[in-house]
Amino acid sequence: MRIICCRFGNKFNQWHVDNLKHMIDKYSGLKYDSFEVIEDDLYGNWFNKLQMYDRFRDDENLYFDLDLVIYDKLPNLIRKNFTLLDDTWWREPAHTPLNSSIVSWTGDVSYIWDKFKKNDEFFISTYTRGSDEWYYKNIEYETYDKVCPSIKDYTYQQPPQFSVCTLGQMHHLQEKGWTGWYSNYFLPIH
Amino acid sequence: MLKICTVYFDGFYSPDYITRLHDSLRKNSTIDFQFICLSDTDVKADLVLPYNHNSNIVKHWHKLKFFSPQFAYQNPGDDIIIMDIDQVIVNNIDDLLNYPVEQNELVTYGQWWTDRLKFNGGFYKFKSGSLRKIWDDFVLNPEFWQLHYYNKGIVHKKYYGEQNYVNNKVNEHNYKLTLTPSEWITKYTDDYKENLKLNKMYMQKFNTDYMILDKEVNDKLKVIHFTGVGRKINENYLL
Repeated sequence: MRIICCRFGNKFNQWHVDNLKHMIDKYSGLKYDSFEVIEDDLYGNWFNKLQMYDRFRDDENLYFDLDLVIYDKLPNLIRKNFTLLDDTWWREPAHTPLNSSIVSWTGDVSYIWDKFKKNDEFFISTYTRGSDEWYYKNIEYETYDKVCPSIKDYTYQQPPQFSVCTLGQMHHLQEKGWTGWYSNYFLPIH
Repeated sequence: MLKICTVYFDGFYSPDYITRLHDSLRKNSTIDFQFICLSDTDVKADLVLPYNHNSNIVKHWHKLKFFSPQFAYQNPGDDIIIMDIDQVIVNNIDDLLNYPVEQNELVTYGQWWTDRLKFNGGFYKFKSGSLRKIWDDFVLNPEFWQLHYYNKGIVHKKYYGEQNYVNNKVNEHNYKLTLTPSEWITKYTDDYKENLKLNKMYMQKFNTDYMILDKEVNDKLKVIHFTGVGRKINENYLL
């Protein structure tokens, strides 16, 4: 099994990658064969993530965004078919129900990359709010059950029945100076 | 613990604004406090926290972070003061720093001059975490709030309106608003005529002979705030 993450631009740095690996190794209970980091900044935006479908065409794959808190043993997130999060259980309807903070597939789904790559300029100019809307309108997918709430609903107390939480827009919680239940699971921030 | 919190970012001001504020606070008070600056460069402070230029939070809106009890290593019971850095302390300010504050209460400057908004964002004092909804509401949609008052035509410069936001949230959440004695502060400018007008107003309002006369400052005055869009501290008043 392969763990995958992506780091581009200035928003995230090596601490974020190390921190994800730390949380996976210490709290998730996941056993994996390789930890892969994609850093090729082809587009200057989050469409870069789609490279992983081209690069990893075999075995079990589990992708995580860097702005997550993993604080307990994860449920089985490995999927055969292309699967990502559906956020509609915790947020207002938006341009897409999907969230690619956690993604899994087994084997070859390079058709996703091929479809995007063929018209990349058009797609990037059309789906200006990110790749999750592109998935929604262009790719067949399956979604996880309720596995990953947003920290916006749990800023002051740890979600009791889950083991992973997305920071969403609240990236500041991974900056120096912030302390809460979540920071107990992060690497020290310098 | 009293924490005095500030924000500095490269652009309009320079790091010596922080040095000046820090030194003048220490010089003009006998109270123990921790001086904190959220900054994108090295500044003179007891604690410097990073200003993230890649954040969806911009400019002085970072001030609102201090309303979160999870920021700047706050502890329950701490008194938090947030100050703008375009101020000069001119007399002892123990009474200002020690100004009593309770849970769910915001203390800010009383101001005597005419302003459209009767609310001064240059000084906020509150109990740690007791006004956390000001931050919690903001962080759900910073992009919206940071342009809301500009888009509504209430302020005329992009990303202004932070004090309008705080004022509105104080009202919305029924927080108690307390103003410090207004003779403690004045605004000041680099415009001679405007300053003359301010001096006259202060003299009439507080029945006194002068507010600022050359480098003499009225004993009642504690803080000079160089407020207004594009205004910097007048170098003549670096007391």
